[in-house]
Amino acid sequence: MAQHGKLPVPNFSAGGIATPADAALVMQLGAEAVFVGSGIFKSSDPERRAKAIVKAATFYQDPVKLLEASEELGEAMPGLEISKMSESELMQVRGW
Amino acid sequence: MPDEVRIGVLALQGDFAAHCDALRAAGATPVEVRTAEDLQSVDGLVLPGGESTTMLKLLDAENLFEALVGFGREKSIFGTCAGAILLAKEVVNPVQRSLGLMEMTVERNAYGRQIDSRISKIDIEGHPAEAVFIRAPVIRRAGPDVSVLATYQNTPVLAAEGRHMVATFHPELSGNNTVHSRFVEAVRKLRSAEVTGIARQPYGT
Repeated sequence: MAQHGKLPVPNFSAGGIATPADAALVMQLGAEAVFVGSGIFKSSDPERRAKAIVKAATFYQDPVKLLEASEELGEAMPGLEISKMSESELMQVRGW
Repeated sequence: MPDEVRIGVLALQGDFAAHCDALRAAGATPVEVRTAEDLQSVDGLVLPGGESTTMLKLLDAENLFEALVGFGREKSIFGTCAGAILLAKEVVNPVQRSLGLMEMTVERNAYGRQIDSRISKIDIEGHPAEAVFIRAPVIRRAGPDVSVLATYQNTPVLAAEGRHMVATFHPELSGNNTVHSRFVEAVRKLRSAEVTGIARQPYGT
């Protein structure tokens, strides 16, 4: 790993990616692939957002195409405020 | 550098990064290609392994399909696995569109499912080599002008026609750049042939 400056396997990045800009950011940080689940399916227009995120992962070094991909996508996946979550939704109390 | 050979690698999907490394090791300058403009500055092009249906969708989204056909009429393309499927004249299992630049019929997923993927030993014109097959296609029919450079289980796995070459396996994943060197040399020969007018069998050894 030290010799090649990278992992011996591809870096797949996931978790919390909700916008084309998020996908481009992880690509710029060195991800070799991005996968997105709820970021697409909990948005208001999943098909359009999925296409936009694919485009952003391809053209992550092209700011103009990133901007175009980010336009008119509807609402992104809503964030969750931890202090407002019920205890049944908290990870740390599960499984005990 | 007058001797520099710039080889594009279609970078919409698939293992384009591995091809860039292999081309660099073979002495070429790799260029990631995502738009028709990117094709302007390269002497040859690699269509990487990946998923051919996905690549077709992305080619359409970027208006690259016709640009690639035009590029292939003038310059060399090397397709591996999904890239080989894209280059073929005819694709079956299922039938799908392709660039149609090489006279052959390719059957997709011809060895079976992912569990049937394998690493095998092959012989490339007398040189032993490793072939990584990942849900690989099989060349079921090759036209009379297609020269077969390697076979596995009695079907062609490395073949050339005119200025183009295909591998049904993934030479970019073997850490050995002999196949890529062959492509880079062919591109170099064809480029100088544009000046001297000689371009016979660029992939011959």
